[in-house]
Amino acid sequence: MDMAPMVQCMGLTKTYGRKIALNQVYLNLERGRIIGLLGPNGSGKTTLIKIMNGLLRPTSGEVLINGQRPGIETKLRISYLPERTYLHPGMKVVEMVQYFQDFYPDFRLDRAYDMLARLQIPPQERLKNLSKGTKEKVQLILVMSRDADLYILDEPIAGVDPASRDYILNTIVSNYNRNGSILLSTHLISDVENILDEVVFIKYGNIVLQAGAEQIRQNEHKSVDQFFREVFAC
Amino acid sequence: MLGKLMKYEWKATWKLLTAANLLTVVMTILAWCMIHAVEYSSDFRMVDFMAVMVILTYVLSMFVVYVGTAIYLIYRFYTSTYGDQGYLLHTLPVDTHHIIIAKTLVSAIWVGISVILMYLSVLVLFMSSGDAFFNMMEGMVDAIEFINGEEISVFMLVMTLIAGIFSIFARVLKIGACISLGQLSSNHKLMCSFGWYVGIYLVECVISGVYFVIRLAFEEFTSQGDYFPYFSTQWETTLLAGIVSCVAFYILTWYVMSRKLNLD
Repeated sequence: MDMAPMVQCMGLTKTYGRKIALNQVYLNLERGRIIGLLGPNGSGKTTLIKIMNGLLRPTSGEVLINGQRPGIETKLRISYLPERTYLHPGMKVVEMVQYFQDFYPDFRLDRAYDMLARLQIPPQERLKNLSKGTKEKVQLILVMSRDADLYILDEPIAGVDPASRDYILNTIVSNYNRNGSILLSTHLISDVENILDEVVFIKYGNIVLQAGAEQIRQNEHKSVDQFFREVFAC
Repeated sequence: MLGKLMKYEWKATWKLLTAANLLTVVMTILAWCMIHAVEYSSDFRMVDFMAVMVILTYVLSMFVVYVGTAIYLIYRFYTSTYGDQGYLLHTLPVDTHHIIIAKTLVSAIWVGISVILMYLSVLVLFMSSGDAFFNMMEGMVDAIEFINGEEISVFMLVMTLIAGIFSIFARVLKIGACISLGQLSSNHKLMCSFGWYVGIYLVECVISGVYFVIRLAFEEFTSQGDYFPYFSTQWETTLLAGIVSCVAFYILTWYVMSRKLNLD
């Protein structure tokens, strides 16, 4: 089972009425890599990610995570950071940590408290009393405190100030399970370019490119960010 | 995992709903005190005025607690299942059955507590009137026995209680099913949920109407009194309707959550 690609999309299509959000997506993502899912707003990144997490049902086609359809087994292996705040505002940070520990067997309590301490986030504080940026950091800490096989991070740096972006990217790179993969969606390419092993360009629901980040730099003689701007120029 | 889901569902709801139920208790005590104050006071006009005000507030608070509990549970179900918190709930490695059972059980427990407290509250206030209460209870028992055409037995009381419990579960599951069915629409999901509720209510009315007509068609009546048992809510009918509703609404909710989930 572990020989199967980490993520396998086969003819994945998602439509909303007449609008096509994903169009016949074929995609294989391998293990042990940090992959950037890059595309402008509305290109289908979040739709693809939600289908991988079982939060959306595809109109047609199939996605397999480690050879399995989205379900309990795949949820045990995926650590997902959505682009919105999904924490219960009335709960304390410490209660959310306990919540994750209760439901995810791969959750590392020591790692979570270590990150909270380094960010000076008081565990006894209620989430509703925290700023939006701090809530996002708590969410990221919870997600990165798991020893997951696949981390799916949807726009992890979109809502935070530029000064915090480096910290967040550093948190991601230094805390993920080295045997796992990271799928990171963003449109802020220059901020994430240096940590990416591989990039997937998505445009109007179509995968237009899948290549190694280094390969792009060598073949195109430009950064991934510059190449992205060229491909997605209006 | 079911136990853990229930634990967190309880933790998310207990504060507000405990406060609401405490309000019932406090208002009952206040109303009881005012009823007794009227009996022992010499300044009737002042005490009467206060008693009326307290009783009015009592009735209003009962309404607010009952409706508020229902609205809060609906809101909680919606936000935690199909709102932002649904992103966490539906990415937990748990069975969809466990999610539905946990939410249904906790909601039904709260509705049950509210209903029991309300009944007890009314009972306590009526009991303050002494013999009049017991005379009224006797009259009620006679009326129920006349309408049902048989004497009230312990078996009947137990079965009525069980039927009542199923009715509570059916109501909770119906709300869950309507909210879930509303999610099948791509726009105006809450409005669609309300539409489903109205639609299901109408279907229920039609089914119960047809059911009574069929029952009446197969019976012979010699006097007007013979009709009463067929129009009163007998425990057999309530139990059957409760069980069928529970199964139907549970399956609908499960189907949407496990096969048609589409979180925006």
